[in-house]
Amino acid sequence: MSILIDETTRVVVQGATGNQARFDMKFCLEYGTRIVAGVTPGRGGETVEGVPIFNTVEAAVRATGANASAIYVPARGVSDAILEALDSGIGMMLSLAENVPRHDAARMVAAVRRAGAHLVGFNTNGIISPGKSKMGGIGGDRANDIYAPGRIGVCSRSGGMSAEICLSLTEDGLGASTCVSMGGDPLVGMRLVEVLRMFEADPETDATVIYGEPGGTHELEVAQALRAGELRKPVIALVVGSFQENYPQGASFGHVAAMISDADDTATAKRRMLSQAGVRVAKTVDEIPGLLREALRD
Amino acid sequence: MRLLEDAAKEALRSAGIDVPRAAVVADARAAALAAEALVGAGGRVAVKALVAAGRRGKAGAVVVCRAAECEASAAGMLNAQFEGQPIARLYIEEAVDIASELYASFAFGPLVPRLVVSRFGGVDIEAVAHEQPEAIVMRDIDPIDGLRTWQAAAAWEAAGLPSAQVPKLAELTVKLYRAFCASDGLMLELNPIAITGEGEPRVVGTMLEVDDNALHRHPGWEELAQATAGPGGRPLTAGERAVAVANRTFPGGATRYTELDGDIGLLVSGGGASLYQHDLILEYGGRPANHTDFSPTPTPDKHVAVLDAIFVRPDVRGLLVGCNYLQLARCDLIVEALAISLRKHGIDPRHFPIVIRLFGPNEAQARAIADGFPGIDYMPRGTTLAQACQAIVEAVRALPEGAPRSGQR
Repeated sequence: MSILIDETTRVVVQGATGNQARFDMKFCLEYGTRIVAGVTPGRGGETVEGVPIFNTVEAAVRATGANASAIYVPARGVSDAILEALDSGIGMMLSLAENVPRHDAARMVAAVRRAGAHLVGFNTNGIISPGKSKMGGIGGDRANDIYAPGRIGVCSRSGGMSAEICLSLTEDGLGASTCVSMGGDPLVGMRLVEVLRMFEADPETDATVIYGEPGGTHELEVAQALRAGELRKPVIALVVGSFQENYPQGASFGHVAAMISDADDTATAKRRMLSQAGVRVAKTVDEIPGLLREALRD
Repeated sequence: MRLLEDAAKEALRSAGIDVPRAAVVADARAAALAAEALVGAGGRVAVKALVAAGRRGKAGAVVVCRAAECEASAAGMLNAQFEGQPIARLYIEEAVDIASELYASFAFGPLVPRLVVSRFGGVDIEAVAHEQPEAIVMRDIDPIDGLRTWQAAAAWEAAGLPSAQVPKLAELTVKLYRAFCASDGLMLELNPIAITGEGEPRVVGTMLEVDDNALHRHPGWEELAQATAGPGGRPLTAGERAVAVANRTFPGGATRYTELDGDIGLLVSGGGASLYQHDLILEYGGRPANHTDFSPTPTPDKHVAVLDAIFVRPDVRGLLVGCNYLQLARCDLIVEALAISLRKHGIDPRHFPIVIRLFGPNEAQARAIADGFPGIDYMPRGTTLAQACQAIVEAVRALPEGAPRSGQR
């Protein structure tokens, strides 16, 4: 098994005729993702990479049975695109849009959650269940080199770091059940702890690796769930960005989410709270496979 | 971006909220005239420094005085410094008759907006939260339904407000939430909200931080956003300004560049990997000369701007080009940018260590470009980001102690 997507997932691509979407679709199809439809208003009847294009998500779902959507619509149109997907009964969405205004993000995430659907993103490079399916740009045309199939669940606030982590697993002979790049924005569709709960329920995931950054409460929520006994599988964490604590407050580095607002959401505080909750905290990506093997022996 | 008080109050005014009348002035005489026009010779005004900083009251950047004394108060404040910024303009506002002071704010929790209210206003809310946590009431707001009057009333009641004050406060709070949404606020703090002698609530202190990602909906604020500052509010350096201009001018993902005191230049990409590599350089005993976070772009211009800013600094002694395993972007475009900037500045990598950790599309072409510059250490496949960080720290450490930079050809 895996979480969120697998070999049965039927994907519609919203904004399918744009450059980035075409580029990613080609590699996703080569990888084996079942992309069954694309949507671009006014372009119905065309094909992209052999995939039929529809004017609306509803028509695409009716004709092809799509149940997941990779949304390439940029920030200014993404609200409508998500509502349209929800309205057509899509249960799993991925939004690659960057720079989504926070109020729009909050309304969309609330709508998705009311409908009982799942949204990965905003500002994600994708999700991959190695050997089964991938959505988004994740892995490019080298997904097999970076993301080997395995029994480790990975969830990362950075797309690039998800690749580094999975590469270290692949080179060590481990591998991922699913790797979720959850999106680097401050307000995203799923909480890190929610992804870990899914891995907890997945019989083909033995342990998880999380990548965190300063800012926000994702890591705190994971620590609380571990203390409450809701998460029993071993967790390995890499939390970066402690250098920011040496510089004046208010400085913005990296992701927008990585802005220090108070002392408790620094990288150092997060490492401490995770470690106290029983997480093995890695200092480098290089240490992760060793820590995983140690955790799985125990 | 944090708005100055005049723009913040204007945002409230356009949402139908009654904020104190005010004028913006740049000299003491104009301040006196404005004060008299607002409240008459015998009335009272607040003279406030129009600077982008909170906690002005504590720092003496707000003075309440009679209109007749306004010229002297204004003269004292103008051209003084406040947290390192010169005070060039003042906000002259009619003084509000304050019987008691309350606190309200809107900001974002992990998923939804959050209202915070307290019956203790006019003071540091963090201190209240620390000393009397029960005096702080927090309520999540459903972003689809918005804030309902009764929800706001319940929050104020829970905060211990007398029943007679609650209905008008609740009405004001709902309007404030609408203003928070209409202005794409990330944080709106009203501290204090005054209760006047007649028992009416009135907004006095206003701090509004708006979402840079929504500036296209607020064209008037876009130009204010250009005046961004470095860490701790210091002015941008020449190099930072040049990168900011390049970032706006050329296509592709955002490039951020912040100068620091160290001697190892960083051209590192990805919000995550840039944080990771910066941590590791420090961990291994190195000192970064800058922080960067760039996304690969279709043209080399943005990368060149960062490299130019690094190479002109006499204190920089080495460079790390470090990226996540690239999945889409081309390696050769990044090394091409390096070649352009190396040639421009006559840098010789045999005396100025350069470590590259860059794998992915067009890597062979990238390596071929790097081969044209003896001394560049383009690390082999399989090298981790951590190993590359260690390599640049050691290479810079191995340079002759105290020797003048011999990087120029």
